[in-house]
Amino acid sequence: MIEQHPWKGYLVVLNQDSLLIQSPYMYEETIVYGPDSDSTTMAIAGLQFMKQRGHEIDFVHLPDTIDAATVYLATSVDSMSRNDELDFDAVKWDFLDGDEATLVLSKTGLDSYDFDTPIGSEIIDSQFHMDIQEAWIRERAESNVSQGAYVSKSMYLEGALARLSLASQKSDEKLIWPPRQLDSSGQRIPSGTHSLTGEATVESWTKLSAAGAPSEFSLRAPILGGIQTVLVRFEQGPRGVFLVCDDVDYAPHIGDKVHFTVRRIYAQEGIIRYGLKALPLP
Amino acid sequence: MFLDSTGACNGFDAQIDRLTQVLVPLGGVMVDVAVIGAGQTKYGNHQLGLKGMWAEAAENAFSSVDKDFDPRQVDEAFIGSVAFGGAQLGNTAALLTEHSGLDGIPVRRVENACASSGFALRDAWMAIKSGQADIVVAGGIEKMNDLSAERKRFWLGVSGDTEWERLAGLTFPGTYALMARRHFHEHASSHDDLVHISVKNHMHGFENEQAHIRKQVSFEKAESGFMVADPLTLYDCCPTSDGASCVILAADHVVQQFTDDPVWVRSSGAASDRLALHDRPSITQLLATQKASQLAYSAAGITSNDVDFAEVHDCFTIAELMATEDLGFAAHGQGGVFAREGRGRRNEGSVCINPSGGLKSKGHPLGATGTGQAVEVFKQLRGSVESSRQVRDAEIGLTHNVGGSGATCAVHIFGRDRND
Repeated sequence: MIEQHPWKGYLVVLNQDSLLIQSPYMYEETIVYGPDSDSTTMAIAGLQFMKQRGHEIDFVHLPDTIDAATVYLATSVDSMSRNDELDFDAVKWDFLDGDEATLVLSKTGLDSYDFDTPIGSEIIDSQFHMDIQEAWIRERAESNVSQGAYVSKSMYLEGALARLSLASQKSDEKLIWPPRQLDSSGQRIPSGTHSLTGEATVESWTKLSAAGAPSEFSLRAPILGGIQTVLVRFEQGPRGVFLVCDDVDYAPHIGDKVHFTVRRIYAQEGIIRYGLKALPLP
Repeated sequence: MFLDSTGACNGFDAQIDRLTQVLVPLGGVMVDVAVIGAGQTKYGNHQLGLKGMWAEAAENAFSSVDKDFDPRQVDEAFIGSVAFGGAQLGNTAALLTEHSGLDGIPVRRVENACASSGFALRDAWMAIKSGQADIVVAGGIEKMNDLSAERKRFWLGVSGDTEWERLAGLTFPGTYALMARRHFHEHASSHDDLVHISVKNHMHGFENEQAHIRKQVSFEKAESGFMVADPLTLYDCCPTSDGASCVILAADHVVQQFTDDPVWVRSSGAASDRLALHDRPSITQLLATQKASQLAYSAAGITSNDVDFAEVHDCFTIAELMATEDLGFAAHGQGGVFAREGRGRRNEGSVCINPSGGLKSKGHPLGATGTGQAVEVFKQLRGSVESSRQVRDAEIGLTHNVGGSGATCAVHIFGRDRND
């Protein structure tokens, strides 16, 4: 039985144990990624879809185009690309990267796949698409260095598990997120072993004009027409601030329910910083 | 120490006790501290560099001392600065003081974001209170307009939570926009209330010769400004300014050598809070302001009702609205009504808020703002501002200097008279 779904801004087609996940955007008859998506963000969404459907996926073969560390931090699914001590035979799932913005996740050893064409593709504005891609190329250049405030690689990695998987800490029966070090009595708070549910309520929001956005976003914010940020409260109590996905047509309101998906945040000195961005709950 | 469900500050009494212990030197005699001189540069786009601006502010402060003053009499100096742009990130204070006749004394840069010189003032006050110094300089400086637009935007966001707020696209306009929208939601305030604040501060600053933007703004114009961070428009945001300010403090036993007309620092209160907005129990009040002001009121033996005017940290108009509540001039949630009814207007309302024009009109050279507020208070209490903008019968003034979105705050209370 073949199922079709929109999922975290992508289109998925499930055929028994095989999943096709693809970007919804078409540019000159080619499937292309949206403004803050790539094969890594889509692979994460695909794994999350399959896990939600009850599939147990611990290890996966990943193509070189996918950032294995980010996939692991976001989903706990490991790969030989990240962990060379993994036993090849223990890996039961393959990710295959298509020529276009399409991925297939299937059990290893499967020779052929049979998917319907996903429903819901839309034509992306060609100028917008070209401008965004050009901006990402410039942003990802090694020469794009910080001139002030700077999230170093170690700083980014220190919080990456919480940032990508909502791992939270527990202290006095309350969940804490983002991570903290010592509590008010000077005791170290254990590392995050609890996950916040991926749904939250909007408590406030703003849309920053391109001129008001941080300089890390200065190449893309003018093309996007500004960036939107929501301050949300999770059901378990903690609050956080998140960007809204670049490609979602959403005007937030206080009280809205949102969920999250991993997307590109920005790139600096050749490294893409990934993080969760908000989407309105369907 | 956080607000409990009743809004009270837990641990507040203990902090007052500790403060009292610190303030009484071993001999048991409380030293009073006075401002004997204060000066600043005009705020705005300066041709001068760091050394030139600081020298001008220091020169103005030295010349404001009524009797003979020699900078070699100064025991110590504290200079607030974010070191915006990184032009002189290390040893800022050493460089500046050597160009103002303050050679060889202990000096240091104090950095607490936009509250840097509010805390420099507090450090100077404490140096005298402790009995270690008799004459101390507190000042601040920032050079913001000699950077490219791109470099400036990098530096404008360095004082928020870089890892969690900036990665979510927030700069300070965005952070304060989140506070504004929530305040509107919780308290039925509105953007019109912010417009009233903008119009008032431009009106106050129009006659201030030191102000960056000396321009009256109509309600209609301020209402329809370019949207920077929804719901905040350009008219809700302070400008980025160059400027320097300098205040000279003296212990009570030497004050008369310099002036018969001192302005007394009746108290200093300070506090901090979680850096990131989302880590605080409320985003519509600044706990650091509440704690700092309660400490300051208590130490001065006054309440908010006794304050005649206040230089309030209005980096954004919503910041002034919330400050009027957190400082006790309006009840919690009533800052919008306070603004709407014009209760902060000079010589019209219950307490004049930002007679200088505030950060909105006078300008906001980050590190210079705190001591710049003290310069205004010094002049107001001595009746030496432009006569058209003098606060009538001013006896007690307050300065409120906030770092970032409220992670740090220093409140000082000044008076014509010493504490009883």
